[in-house]
Amino acid sequence: MKVFLIGAGQVGFAIVDALHQDHELTVLDTEAARLAALTERYDVATYEGDGTSRRDLAAAGVQDADLVIACTSRDEVNLVAGMFARREAKRGTTVIRTSNVEYVELWRAGQLDVDFVVCSELETAHAISRIIGVPAARQTDVFAEGQVQIVEFDVADDASSDVINVPLRDAKVPKDSKVAAIIRGEDTLLPRGDQAVLPGDRIVVIGPPQAAQAWSALLAPGDATVKDVVIYGAGRVGSAIARVLLDQGISVRLIESSIERARVVAEMLPAARVYNATGIDPDFLDRERIGQAHAAIFAMRDDAKNLYAASLAEVHGVGFTIGIAHEPVSVIAFEHAGIDVSVNPRAVTAEEIIRFAHDPRTKQVALLEGTRYEVLDVTTRDKSEYVGKTFKEMPIRGALIGAIVRDGRAIFPHGDDVLEAGDRVIIFTKTEDAPRVVEAL
Amino acid sequence: MRLTAALGRRTRPRRRLAVDLPATINLVGMLGKYLGLAAVLPIAVALWYGESFWPFLAAGAITSGTGFALERATAGSTRRVGVREGFLVVAATWLLAAGFASLPYLFAGGDQLGHPIDAYLEGMSGFTTTGASVVTDFDELSRSLGMWRQFTQWLGGMGIIVLAIAVLPRLRVGGRQMMESELPGPEIAQLSERIAHTARVLWGLYVGLTLAETLALASLGWLGIDDRMTEYQALAHAFTTMPTGGFSTQANSIGAFSATAQWIIALFMLLAGANFALMYRGFVRRRPRVFLRDEEFRLYVALALAASAALAVEIWGYGIAEGEEAVRAGVFQTVSIMTTTGYASMDFALWPTVCLLSLFALMFVGGSAGSTGGSIKVVRHLLLAKILRRELDQTVSPEVVMPIRLNGAPVDERTLRAIAAFILLYVGAWGVGASVIAIESALGNVPVGALDALAISATALGNVGPAFGVTGPFGSFAPLGDASKLTLIGLMWLGRLEIIPVVVLLTRHYWRL
Repeated sequence: MKVFLIGAGQVGFAIVDALHQDHELTVLDTEAARLAALTERYDVATYEGDGTSRRDLAAAGVQDADLVIACTSRDEVNLVAGMFARREAKRGTTVIRTSNVEYVELWRAGQLDVDFVVCSELETAHAISRIIGVPAARQTDVFAEGQVQIVEFDVADDASSDVINVPLRDAKVPKDSKVAAIIRGEDTLLPRGDQAVLPGDRIVVIGPPQAAQAWSALLAPGDATVKDVVIYGAGRVGSAIARVLLDQGISVRLIESSIERARVVAEMLPAARVYNATGIDPDFLDRERIGQAHAAIFAMRDDAKNLYAASLAEVHGVGFTIGIAHEPVSVIAFEHAGIDVSVNPRAVTAEEIIRFAHDPRTKQVALLEGTRYEVLDVTTRDKSEYVGKTFKEMPIRGALIGAIVRDGRAIFPHGDDVLEAGDRVIIFTKTEDAPRVVEAL
Repeated sequence: MRLTAALGRRTRPRRRLAVDLPATINLVGMLGKYLGLAAVLPIAVALWYGESFWPFLAAGAITSGTGFALERATAGSTRRVGVREGFLVVAATWLLAAGFASLPYLFAGGDQLGHPIDAYLEGMSGFTTTGASVVTDFDELSRSLGMWRQFTQWLGGMGIIVLAIAVLPRLRVGGRQMMESELPGPEIAQLSERIAHTARVLWGLYVGLTLAETLALASLGWLGIDDRMTEYQALAHAFTTMPTGGFSTQANSIGAFSATAQWIIALFMLLAGANFALMYRGFVRRRPRVFLRDEEFRLYVALALAASAALAVEIWGYGIAEGEEAVRAGVFQTVSIMTTTGYASMDFALWPTVCLLSLFALMFVGGSAGSTGGSIKVVRHLLLAKILRRELDQTVSPEVVMPIRLNGAPVDERTLRAIAAFILLYVGAWGVGASVIAIESALGNVPVGALDALAISATALGNVGPAFGVTGPFGSFAPLGDASKLTLIGLMWLGRLEIIPVVVLLTRHYWRL
């Protein structure tokens, strides 16, 4: 497939990294230095030009693209580029990135002339709400309208003996769930029944949301469900997270250092309690019992501040911390410093956009462990070699079927169930095997 | 250097006047010119009943003539009236209107209304829709003079300037602030971008409701349910119900009419105390759900119900009345005092102190914003309660940011400060007024007790009408001394214009640059 990319920033890099092996990429950016950095590492065509110039777009060959992605950091550029590309590339799909939820609403109402809109803030908020739902999770994603959840857990030393140190076929795993992968040090195993989960492992689990919560309780017995969250920073990311969490009935407290912004957010979100404070004043933290919150999210603009505030919050007793890492390198620093989960909004956005690069039958793709594994949501063709076969007959080829969606309802298949044509299959696979798996189905 | 300094000191000019007086006088004159036309109605009544019409003709001619003269004298002023002049226009127009109302009393009021202070008090009480009266013998008043009293309240209810904005093109520019000064409540409900349209809608609804009440009451007479409710009485009382005025043509107020008439009047008083903009959306635009969604309306109805029930229990408990009569007296008196109408179905001045204290408290409630009711108003109580709650929250957590909302929308901090300032000034004016009345009454041996003095001040400031003791609903304000009467006139004026537009005139900054 021919993919045309506008913007070679962080998001652009992540997209190139995920797609360069299987697709033909052209990247357009105004800065030659960024394009040079890109060509040093990847085999992609680059073009120095302006995404808002129709002439530049045409000169770079946008008309031949099957997929056009506008992912600069500026909404206006993405909008204009997206609209031009839609005209030029007759058979292409246009995806634009935005940081404004309002554009997503406009797009849903059919008012924006592009095919898809991906909002970094909204995606980040959803990513965090999925993590909050399963507090022991390191990473998680939902499929089939939320009926299927895929979660990556760290296995704690005090995890329940129902599931660790026993072969998987004997383990009392929560109903309808499967262990898709065990990550032990540098190795990743696609487990068979005779293997066991050990403390210190990292595992990937597929199952219904209830099972994900049950796994969370088994692997990290101390964590209860999150009902009270403190968010540091009420910028676009922080307020988007607050809105999503409030919608789920979670109580939210926001800490914002700018009084003007605090007022705006307090007016916007009547259900949230908003403080005008820096969040690093010990008196304030103590007086407002910030330490008693079930979870704290650090969504300030400055990664260093997020790290510092998180450390302080942990000292005050916050049990679960989630850091927003704007720079990819901060993820490492956060994890090293003991922040439980780190989320990079640009990575989340890239992941969301990459989903569009797959087969049209593929609805959704999630990336786990960087880009080494993917979770695919594929509809089976009539002529697939697997149609009509039971699941236990299928060969293990580095892929695992976690769930199928038939007539809109998720089914968690057991050995004797039969795959039918038209089923949507939620499948876990290595990234390099993904096109092969899609082809087979 | 030294020379200029010396010169500068010696020739320092007087600071210039900041208000454009000619433009102000010009506009007040124009309003007066048209206001005089209101004399047409009593002249018609006088002709119909074969009474002398010259007092009204003279009053109208004097008012229009004065207005015309003022307008002509300042005809050269080209600057239009701005925000600064608006306060003075409103304040002066209302003083002028009260003067206009008092002229027929001066000419034809006889002993009970002929004294200038008494006449002016009656005039101010009329236009401000207070309903406090110095009349002691209602039989002595002619029908035309009686109707004039009622009619002044009706004119003042929705506001003279609002009416002028509705019909006079000249006021459509820059009239918003004057309209806000005159319309009751902290802010005008935005019915329309164009104030002339808003003003017309408000007056239209006002006229419509007045007609509806007149018909409802008159039909009681036609059907033989209430023989005393003639067409004259129906119109006279509709004229003073809808503006929450409270003047009656009867010595014993609404007690003169049947139970059915009392229930109908109670209903219309309740409507008059509700937000007209809200009623326009609910009734005219047929969106009844707006009533349920409006926080102020819900509180207004809840307060009326709770206070009615409490008062009914007190009345029944003390054996003043029983059964339907007790409930009716409870509802009628509560609604009448709370909406600042001031009608009475019974002489509550004779009731025990507990009942009086209930009514006294209700004098401070008032109607809704955008109604014709006076006093503090329900929305200000509601917002004050929210302000207090926030203050208490911020005592514990100083960092918390809590916008105050009304019907879901944040209220800006300036409006909130204005509400706090209003309530402080209101209480201050009430205290000063009560002191003057108490002191003068004590010196002049007028039988007015401490509670009576407090109630008289509150009733005037809140534009309610009756107080307790000799100034009760079936009594009269005539026994009070002249200083007390002048104080009452000032309080009624302050209360009708909601204090701040008047008090602004007392600041130095208003007059000088």
